[in-house]
Amino acid sequence: MNTTMLKTVNLTKIFRTDEVETTALHNVSFQIQSGEFVAIMGPSGCGKSTLLNIIGLLDNPSGGDYYFMGQEVSKFTEKMRANIRKKNIGFVFQNFNLIDELNVYENIELPLIYLGMSSSERKKRVEATLEQMQIMHRRKHFPLQLSGGQQQRVAVARAVVANPHLILADEPTGNLDSAHGEEVMNLLAQLNQSGTTIIMVTHSQHDAEYSQRIVRLFDGQIVNENIRFGKPEISVLDS
Amino acid sequence: MLFFNYLNSSLRSLVRQKTYLLINLLGLSMGIAAYLVIVMYVTYEKSFDNHIEQGNNIFRVVEVQNEPGVGNQHVAITMGPLARELKNTFPSVKETLRVMPAYQIASVEYNNKLLRETNMMYADPSIFNMFSIKISLGNPNKLLEEPRSLVISEDVAIKYFGSAEKALNSMLLLNNMPYRIEAIMENQTKHSHIYFDILISMSSIEGTPEFEWMDHWGSNSLVTYLLLDNKDQAKEIEKALPQFIKDKIFSQNEGWEFLEMYLQPLDDIYLKSKHIKFQMVYAAGDARTVSIFMVISALILLIACVNYINISLARSVKQAREVGMRKVLGADRMSLVYRFISESLVITLIAILLAVGMLELILPEINSMLGTSFVLDFRKPLFNIGLLLLLVIISLVSGSYPAFYLSRYQPISVLKGGIKSSVKSSYLSKSLVVFQFAISIGLIFSILMINDQIRYIQKKDLGITYSNSLFLFFGQNDFKKLDVLKQSLLENPAIRSVSGSSFINGVSGSQGPIFINDTANTKLTVRYGFVDEDFFKTMNIELIEGRNFDPTIHRDSAGVVILNQSAVKKLGWSDINGKKLSATADGDSTMQPDVIGVIRDYHYYSLRSVIEPAAYFYVPEMFRGVTIKYSAQESRANIEKFIESKWKELFPKTPYQSVFADQYISDTYKSDLKIRNLFVYFAILSMFLSCLGLYGLTSLLIEQKTKTIGIKRALGSSVSSIVFDLVKEYLVLVGLAGLIAIPLSIMFIQRFLDDYSYRVEISFYNIVVAILMAVTIAFITVVFKAGKTANSNPLEALKYE
Ligand SMILES: Nc1ncnc2c1ncn2[C@@H]1O[C@H](COP(=O)(O)OP(=O)(O)O)[C@@H](O)[C@H]1O
Ligand SMILES: [Mg+2]
Repeated sequence: MNTTMLKTVNLTKIFRTDEVETTALHNVSFQIQSGEFVAIMGPSGCGKSTLLNIIGLLDNPSGGDYYFMGQEVSKFTEKMRANIRKKNIGFVFQNFNLIDELNVYENIELPLIYLGMSSSERKKRVEATLEQMQIMHRRKHFPLQLSGGQQQRVAVARAVVANPHLILADEPTGNLDSAHGEEVMNLLAQLNQSGTTIIMVTHSQHDAEYSQRIVRLFDGQIVNENIRFGKPEISVLDS
Repeated sequence: MLFFNYLNSSLRSLVRQKTYLLINLLGLSMGIAAYLVIVMYVTYEKSFDNHIEQGNNIFRVVEVQNEPGVGNQHVAITMGPLARELKNTFPSVKETLRVMPAYQIASVEYNNKLLRETNMMYADPSIFNMFSIKISLGNPNKLLEEPRSLVISEDVAIKYFGSAEKALNSMLLLNNMPYRIEAIMENQTKHSHIYFDILISMSSIEGTPEFEWMDHWGSNSLVTYLLLDNKDQAKEIEKALPQFIKDKIFSQNEGWEFLEMYLQPLDDIYLKSKHIKFQMVYAAGDARTVSIFMVISALILLIACVNYINISLARSVKQAREVGMRKVLGADRMSLVYRFISESLVITLIAILLAVGMLELILPEINSMLGTSFVLDFRKPLFNIGLLLLLVIISLVSGSYPAFYLSRYQPISVLKGGIKSSVKSSYLSKSLVVFQFAISIGLIFSILMINDQIRYIQKKDLGITYSNSLFLFFGQNDFKKLDVLKQSLLENPAIRSVSGSSFINGVSGSQGPIFINDTANTKLTVRYGFVDEDFFKTMNIELIEGRNFDPTIHRDSAGVVILNQSAVKKLGWSDINGKKLSATADGDSTMQPDVIGVIRDYHYYSLRSVIEPAAYFYVPEMFRGVTIKYSAQESRANIEKFIESKWKELFPKTPYQSVFADQYISDTYKSDLKIRNLFVYFAILSMFLSCLGLYGLTSLLIEQKTKTIGIKRALGSSVSSIVFDLVKEYLVLVGLAGLIAIPLSIMFIQRFLDDYSYRVEISFYNIVVAILMAVTIAFITVVFKAGKTANSNPLEALKYE
C-alpha cells in the first residue's frame, strides 16, 4: 500500500503578536505515505510543534498548501477541521492532557462520544482498547492517581480508540523516565506495525530510532530528511 | 449522554475545588435569599388594596388648594355634598362613598366593657359593595342606612359580646348613646390603605347641628371615593371638574378663591400619596422606597453572579486545558457552551434550594422587623415559576460569559501549556471587582448619611421638649374636670406639670382660616391649637413676645389668640401691638380676639414638613385631653399606675388611653429607621459577598502565582513585600470603586434628603469613611489569604508546579 497520507507545499507559519513577528515555519514541503512512521527532530523553538499542529489540523498555516488525504485543507475553518480531525487523527502530547475530572474509562471514551457513537458500540471499543493497552484494571482510576507512564498509556489508548489513520505524538516520552518511555515507544511501534501512520516529534535520538524516517527542522525549515532502514526489535513490556 | 459526561466532569471538578464551590454556593444562595425577601416585600407593598374587587374602577377625590400662609397643598379630604353632586352631574359615576374617622367617639361600652376604639369610621352604605366587605352574620341588605346603626367586625363582636350571634341586633353605647348592631362583617385585612373594625352609619351625624358643616361646601373632612363604570372615564370627569367646581362650589360663596380636583386611582393611594396631606389612611407606603429596594435587590443578585463569573474566569486557566483537549478530540463550541451552562445550572439550583432553606430560618426574624407575615408558599404556582425563572436567569447570567469565553479558545492555543492568562479576562474581572465594591461603598456611604440624618433629627432642637411626657384622651365633657384632674395628679411630686391641650404637640391637626381685623380682612390659613395656660411651659415652648394665656382674665377664654412666629412672619408684622382677629376660632364675629403673644416656632410634626402658621386659642371645650410632664427620676410604670388610678376615680366612664411622647416621635420616623436597618443588612451582605468574591479571586491568583511566589521567596524576598505586591493591585481597584460610587450615591442621598425640610449636608467625612472601610475590609481579606501563601515554605510552592 503506497497511498499519500499527507503532503505540504511551501508551508509557512507566521505568529504575530503586538510586538514581534515570528516565522515559525518557512516553506516547508514534504510528503508522508500511509503506514509510515516519521520522526521530526530539531532544536527547541525550531517549529516542530507548530508543524505538527498544522499537520494535525489544530491550526491553519499562514501560507502554502496542505493536502490531507488528497484534500486541500489549509483554509478550512475550525469546524471543518474538527470534523476531519475526530475521524482520522489521534493525538498524544508530552504532558498527556488527560481530563483530570474524568476517569480512565471516561477519558478513553471521549473521542467516541464526539463521533456520536452508540453507547454499546462505545463500550465494546473502549474495553477492547483497555485490553489492548493492558490497563483494564485501571479503568476506574483518575489521571492524578496514575504515574506519568500510566497516564501516557491512557493517552495513547485515547488516541487509538477511534481507529484513526494517523497518530501525532508531540514528545510523547518527554515527561517520562526511560523505562516508561520505552513502553510508550513500543506501543507506538506496535500500532505502526498494524498499519497506523505515525508522526512523532522527539528530542531523543533513541526514540527516533523507532521511526523509518527522520525529518530535521532548523529555524522553521527542513534541513535534511534521512530515510532509515530496519527497525529495532519490538519488546513488549508490561507496566 | 454528552450532557452527563459534561455534568460528570464539572461536578467532579467542583467537588475537587471545594473552596470555590463553597464560595459560589454561599454567595449565590445569600444573594438569592436577599433577593427573595425583597421580592416578597415589594410584592407586599404593591399588592395593598388588592382585595377590593372593583379597585380598578375606584378613585379617591383629591383637592388642590392654595391657602394664604401655606401655599399649594394636595388634600385627600373633601366636602360633605361633593359625593352627591358628583353623582348627579356625571352619569359615569356609578356609586360614591364617603368615610370619616370617628375621632370624637371617646368611649365604646357594653355592660362593664369600656374602651376607646381607634379604628371606627362613619361610612355611607355603599362601603360594602365598593370595598368588597363580606357580611358574616345578619341581613346584608340596607346596612348603615338608619341613624345610629353599626356594622362591627367579628373580633369586635367577640371582644364585647363573646360571640357574633350575641352581638347581632344588640346595642353598643358610643359616647353613652345606644347604637344598634345591624350586622357582623368579616375581619378586615390590614393589607390596605384603610382599616376599620366598627362602621357607623353616616346618617347618624348628617343633618345633626354639630355636623351642620356637612351640608356646606366650606369645610373638608370626609374622604370621597367614586366607583366609575369604567376607569377610562376618570379622564373625562377630570376634564369637566373645573366647570363643575365653578358651578357648584365657587357659586356658593364659601370663601374659595382657588380649588382644583383630580381623581386618584385606588391602586395609587397606598404607594403614591406622599404629596397629599390630610389623608385619613391607616397605612401609607412610598413608591420610591419600593423602587430603591428593587434596584438594590437586583444589584445584590448581580454581585452574587459577578462572584460566580469572576471565579469561573479565574478557574478558566485550569479549565482551558480541558476545553482545549475536548476540542482536539472533536468537541464543537456549542457543546462546550452547554457544558458550562449546565454547570452553572446545577450550582444555581443548589443555591436556590439553600436560599429557600435559609429563608425558612430567617423569615420570622424578617417578619418581626418589617411587621409583615411573609411565608414561602410553594403551592402558589407563581412562586414556583418565579423560582424557575430565577434559576434560568441566574444560570444564564453567571454561566454565559465563562461559557462563551472559554469555549472560544482554539484548541491549539490552549495546549501550549495553558492559556496566557488572557489580559482581557483580567480586565473584565477587575472591572467586576470595581463594580462590586462600588455598590458596597455606595451603600455604606448611604447608611452613614441616613444615620446622620436620623441623629440630626433626634438631636435637633425641635423647639418643643417631648421627653418624659404623655397625653391622655378626654371623653365627652371631661374637660370640665380639668382643674380637679390637675390638682389630684400634681399631688404626686413626680408629676411636674399637667395641661389641657389638643394633643401632645399642641395642635388639633385641623387647618382653617383666621381673619385679621384690618382693612383688608386679611386671611391666613393656620393650624389650630387649643391649649391652656400651662401647655407652653409644660413642653418648654418659648414665648418670645407678649404674654401667655391667663385663666384669671375672663376674656382669655376664646377672646384672645397666641400665634407662632411663622404666622407673624407671613402676616408681615413687626410686633403684635394692638393686633386683633376679626372673629374667634369658631367664627363668632361678635368678639375680636386680641393677639396677646407669639411663641417661637416649634415642630409640631416631623422634620419632613415645614412649620406652618399656627394659632392657639384657650377654649377648654376643644381640649382633646391633657399633656402631662413627669420627672425623669420616676419609672414610667409607676407614673402610669398612679395616673391610671386617679383617672379611673375621676372619669369612670372614660376609657384610659395614653400616648407616650417618645412613642409618638418614633412612630413619625419609624419608616426611616426601617429603611436604615434594611440598608445596613444590604450593605453588610453586599460587602460580605464582595469580599467572598475577592477572597476567591485572590486564592486563584495566588494559585497561579504560587511558583512566582516560591521563586521570590527562595531568592530572599520578604513575606510582607510579596503580600504587598498582591494587595496593592486590589486596593487601587477598591479606591477606583469609591470614585465611581460616591457621585452616584450622593445623587441618591440628595433625593432621600429632599424629603426632609430640615436636613444634614452631604459630608465629606462620610465619603472618606465609606471608602476607608471598604479598603480596610478588602485589605484584610486579601492579606489574610495572601499572607498564608507567602508564609509557606518556598519549596512547597516550587514543587507544586
Ligand atoms: N502562539 C504563538 N504565538 C507566538 N509565537 C509562537 C506561538 N507558538 C509558537 N511560537 C513561536 O514559534 C516558534 C516555534 O515554536 P514551536 O513550534 O513551539 O517550537 P518547538 O516545538 O520546535 O520547540 C518559537 O519561536 C515560538 O516562540
Ligand atoms: Mg514543541
